[in-house]
Amino acid sequence: MANVSVAAEWQLLYNRYYRKPEIYQMRWKHVDLSRNKVACASFGGPIAVIRDDSKIVQLYAESALRKLRIFNSAGVLLSETVWKHPGGRLIGISWSDDQTLICIVQDGTIYRYNIHAELIQPNVTMGKECFEQNVVECVFWGNGVVCLTEGGQLFCISDFKTMKPYKLADVPGLTEDDMLQPTCLAVREPQYTMSGNVEVLVAVGDEIFVVDEDEAQSIRFDEPSVEDSEMGNDDYGNNLIGTVQKMIVSPNGKFLTLFTHDGRVVVVGMESKQIAIDYSCESALPPQQMAWCGMDSVLLYWDEDLMMVGPLGDPVHYFYDEPVILIPECDGVRILSNTSLEFLQRVPDSTESIFKIGSTSPAALLYDALDHFDRRSAKADENLRLIRSSLSEAVESCIDAAGHEFDVTRQRALLRAASYGQAFSSNFQRDRVQETCRTLRVLNAVRDPNIGIPLSIQQYKLLTPVVLISRLINAHSHLLALRISEYLAMNKEVVIMHWACAKITASPSTPDAHLLEILLDKLQLCRGISYAAVATHADNCGRRKLAAMLVEHEPRSTKQVPLLLSIGEEDTALVKATESGDTDLVYLVIFHIWQKRPPLEFFAMIQGRVLARDLFVAYARCHKQKFLEDFFLSTGQIHEVAFLLWKESWDMGKNPMASKGSPLHGPRIKLIEKASNLFAQTKEHTFESKAAEEHAKLLRIQHELEASTKQAIFVDSSINDTIRTCIVLRNNRAAAKVKSEFKVSDKRWYWLKTFALATIKDWEGLEKFSKEKRPPTGFRPFVEACIDADEKAEALKYIPKLSDLVERGEAYARIGKAKEAADAAAQANDGGELLERFRKTFSQNAIFDTLKMPFQGAS
Amino acid sequence: MAQIPNLENAPLNLKSIREKSQRELVNLLKDIRGTKCLVIDPKLSGSVSLIIQTSTLKILEQEKVHNLVTVKEFPLYMVPLDEDVISFELDLSEKDCLVDGDVSSLWHVAKAIHELEFSFGVIPKVRAKGKGSVRVADILNRMQVEEPVNTNDVGRPEIDTLILLDREVDMVTPMCTQLTYEGLLNEFLHISNGAVEVDSSVMGSQQEGKKMKVPLNSSDKLFKETRDLNFEVVVQVLRQKATTMKEDYTEINSTQTVSELKDFVKKLNSLPEMTRHIHLAQHLTTFTSKQSFLSQLDMEQTLVEAESYDICFEYIEEMIHKQEPLTKVLRLLVLFSVTNSGLPKKQFDYIRTELLHSYGFEHVAALNNLEKAGLLKKQEFKSNWQTVKRTLKLIVEDTDTSRPDDIAYVYSGYAPLSIRLVQQAIHSGWRPIEDILKLLPGPHLETKRSGFPSSPSVDSLHGASNGVADGRRSVVLVVFIGGVTFAEISALRFLASKEGMAYDLIIATTKILNGSTLIETFMEKAG
Repeated sequence: MANVSVAAEWQLLYNRYYRKPEIYQMRWKHVDLSRNKVACASFGGPIAVIRDDSKIVQLYAESALRKLRIFNSAGVLLSETVWKHPGGRLIGISWSDDQTLICIVQDGTIYRYNIHAELIQPNVTMGKECFEQNVVECVFWGNGVVCLTEGGQLFCISDFKTMKPYKLADVPGLTEDDMLQPTCLAVREPQYTMSGNVEVLVAVGDEIFVVDEDEAQSIRFDEPSVEDSEMGNDDYGNNLIGTVQKMIVSPNGKFLTLFTHDGRVVVVGMESKQIAIDYSCESALPPQQMAWCGMDSVLLYWDEDLMMVGPLGDPVHYFYDEPVILIPECDGVRILSNTSLEFLQRVPDSTESIFKIGSTSPAALLYDALDHFDRRSAKADENLRLIRSSLSEAVESCIDAAGHEFDVTRQRALLRAASYGQAFSSNFQRDRVQETCRTLRVLNAVRDPNIGIPLSIQQYKLLTPVVLISRLINAHSHLLALRISEYLAMNKEVVIMHWACAKITASPSTPDAHLLEILLDKLQLCRGISYAAVATHADNCGRRKLAAMLVEHEPRSTKQVPLLLSIGEEDTALVKATESGDTDLVYLVIFHIWQKRPPLEFFAMIQGRVLARDLFVAYARCHKQKFLEDFFLSTGQIHEVAFLLWKESWDMGKNPMASKGSPLHGPRIKLIEKASNLFAQTKEHTFESKAAEEHAKLLRIQHELEASTKQAIFVDSSINDTIRTCIVLRNNRAAAKVKSEFKVSDKRWYWLKTFALATIKDWEGLEKFSKEKRPPTGFRPFVEACIDADEKAEALKYIPKLSDLVERGEAYARIGKAKEAADAAAQANDGGELLERFRKTFSQNAIFDTLKMPFQGAS
Repeated sequence: MAQIPNLENAPLNLKSIREKSQRELVNLLKDIRGTKCLVIDPKLSGSVSLIIQTSTLKILEQEKVHNLVTVKEFPLYMVPLDEDVISFELDLSEKDCLVDGDVSSLWHVAKAIHELEFSFGVIPKVRAKGKGSVRVADILNRMQVEEPVNTNDVGRPEIDTLILLDREVDMVTPMCTQLTYEGLLNEFLHISNGAVEVDSSVMGSQQEGKKMKVPLNSSDKLFKETRDLNFEVVVQVLRQKATTMKEDYTEINSTQTVSELKDFVKKLNSLPEMTRHIHLAQHLTTFTSKQSFLSQLDMEQTLVEAESYDICFEYIEEMIHKQEPLTKVLRLLVLFSVTNSGLPKKQFDYIRTELLHSYGFEHVAALNNLEKAGLLKKQEFKSNWQTVKRTLKLIVEDTDTSRPDDIAYVYSGYAPLSIRLVQQAIHSGWRPIEDILKLLPGPHLETKRSGFPSSPSVDSLHGASNGVADGRRSVVLVVFIGGVTFAEISALRFLASKEGMAYDLIIATTKILNGSTLIETFMEKAG
């Protein structure tokens, strides 16, 4: 049976099966891992290879210059560059999470490369101490690094994005004693520590210290596990662990693997301090490499011997006749040799249940049934009957197992088995098969040796499709990234945007118009893409003209306008901002030009643009009055200048310094007169000119009045108020003078005077005034003034003199003389209507009073 | 009673808008780390209080103690004032546009409508009249290009038609005194953010001199019933209700069954509402019964009917001589100028001189502003108000305010021009009245828009079943750029409630205004 051959490749570690399929035959030639420093990125990332300058190696037919070469996981060369950096030997080299290659040399300088072997500027240094003391060892994690100096100090960068080095606490003894060197280092990543800061484990002598920024604490693993204490082995602790030769932290940060001086592999819990594995190796020679295989077992590698230790049972040995490098992944270890790349992982439960020799699990039977079905054997039906009750579980297992396969034929076989089973199962979520198919198509595509990203399904899920796509575009596999985005219905914007920028960078000699055409062709694929962002990139690449052409296509004005300004297209920016209707944008452009250009040029620019001009004027009116005057002068709007001056005169009046007798009055009046003259220059503003002239005259008179009456109550009141004040002060001559100065009409004069006299209750004076001559207003002002002052008796003197009968009736009504009102109304022509209205007025209040009665208590 | 209006019965899900604003404000505050102290400008606190109950803010308040002053932009584009009214809270919009040419408010209006579209779908039909409105329609289209509303996300558009109207198109209506209950309350007591502030003695409280806030929105059932009625009718309605209640009250002494008692207690629940409105109505009549109020109405009527300008001019002249409040004078003067398309040169200069002499030269700025806005100007050509009035039947004789059959009841005989235009726009679009539209300021526009279409067949299928199934009428959004009066809102509500009306109306505005508040925006002090 086919099943047998699958399981035959598995190894059993106690009760767990492991498998180690070959994923790639390496495409590279003449690469000998043992001669090189090698950095392999996790999640099937790229491999950086550079000749190891700490080893003496024989040069074959090659240049003496060292080359940094970057391959994909299948050994396809992606890029290379010559390494000729100063700063001493290369100490550490590793890929960061965002696939930047971090190289640290002896003097602490950090050189960074992208996947295209291009140096990322600027170079960073680990600091002065590292420069002086030399770096001897580096320990990396995904987003940071810890360096040990010859002087025994520790320095750390905990975020490669910010690249800020800082010093960690000194380990006791290490910095004082030159001879004392730590035997090994390990790092617990910030995400797994209590404090959220990185912790470095340093083994010195018999001790292990946990070091962070503030302190170095010795830790002891002296609590014996339960079994040990039962065995009476209670002297189990650091004394027995002794000097540690090598240590690594588990992928979840919870366990620590130690290789002790006497050749034991010990796994202890970081928090519990309990020992989970303790296995004595044949030799005390420390392994060259140690790695966790998922969370299930630990791998140790000596020359030609790779040993896998689990919690129980005998270890498994694999033998290699060439050097290998262990690349830990979340769910296993990739084993890279000169010729191949293998993936060592625990056999997933689903796969095991199907392919384990002699397995009779429902999934195995379903897989077998398909085989029978293909061979038209009736046994297929028999198998199905056997597993009827657990069919959906079997289908689920087949789907899951398919997901874990690297081999496409086996993927297909398993998926076919699943869909075969599904046909007989009623209660299964049908999209599970589709979903796995979709995922596998993506995985198979990126596993292609030319792309060379051998992700397992678990790694893919942890990495997320978004990151995978960003890695693809980072490696300039734009087409594949686009296809995957489309296939997974993700936003294509990221891909197209990156492509466009990369295209601009890569085509310095393509003419603008042609390049624009190429770019637009692709940019149009994605609605809502930011043309402005691409244009910014073009501008940064020194292609301002291309930038201007691109930004023309940006539909979002909020993005378009600022960019136009930054590339100096101020006119276009103003037009676009105005079109958008967003006044904030127009202001942005105005302020920009205002700052950059001399005033006259600025004025000329906005004068023709109505909205820009109006907005500028509105702003300047509040904040920059003097500047606004300049603007109006330069554009010939003299009357506007006049209005400004007039307004300024009031600001001056409000100034407390301008109180009585202050010399500020002089300039104030001058300002108003100047305004009057300016108004007079245009025919349309004769009214304003005259008004300003009068205003100046009024102010003068008011000053004189204040001086003569010694009362500061005149300035800034109106002409009417001035007259009224004079009458109230019983200064009739002054009142008459103001009246004649400003040609106050007789009508106004009568209203003014009657009310003023009523205010001071000069009823005698009022009567006298009424008899001076026949009032041009009739007697209405007198009646009104008296009623307003609630002097009914006085009012009665004048009401009979009202000539209009309706008016007379109304006046009677207002003072409550219902009978007289009715009489007057009866004499009037349309008396009926009037009477009705009176009736209403009198009754309305009564209505409400009766309405409120029942509720008085309740409200 | 809660001051924050209950939005349960709104034709559109306005609650979601309010909730979104609440969320945004709280998030904005949460974003600032540590303890904080929220300082609210008194001008804004009213609007903010319509969005968020203070209790929600209290939680934040407990964190008290200011730290560093952080200024953040709170994108408050709109505030639902009631079930069918949204305000964009742009107080100075009209003055900014007409006088200063600052059209920022137009962008904000467009933005707010676009925000609505994100919730309710792209509005397919647009009808606009006026410079600002046409510009808003234009900006709205640009926004749809820049940040498209995806039709697939929101489904069938809930708003069928957007009607945009510039205040400038109809300056007559706001200058007239509103005669609906809510309108009058606003004219005399000034409704702000859905409440009036009155002396507590007005409300029958014993404490003299204390101010109290009376909330006015549709959560108050009696107010909902009476707000849109002509005030005359309100008095009758109140009287009738009070009488019935009084009868019940006397009857209760003779009836003893529990169910009757229960009924009575139920009726008693509406007692506080009754007393509240009786108090308010009585307070209003102290204003409306004044002779000056009646003659003011007379004058307005005369101006609108374009009967005798001379009498009106003399009346205004006398108002100035009596030194009545300047806003009141200007309001009538603007009405005069607008219906007469300006004043003859001699009168224009004369009246301006009288104004400056009587009220002070600082008011030259206000006059200048009004002139720039075209509200108070020299007559250059003959007025076409007569034609507009006649063609659109703005004067309705024999208006029965208690049983109205036309919107004219809100101004006791004058049908607001703005609402007549809306009426036309809803029923037949602009085409039949193009000639009249040309006589009014600003261009007009009528377009059809579409979102990015999903497959059309699905759309139409959906539309057919959806519209009938959930029993909701399509919605027309009427936007007033530059403000709207309560009486106009009442008129629109009246339209919506009329038989044969196929739409629900939602009203949006830059600000609720009346003639006086509108005039006040033009009265920047020269000093």
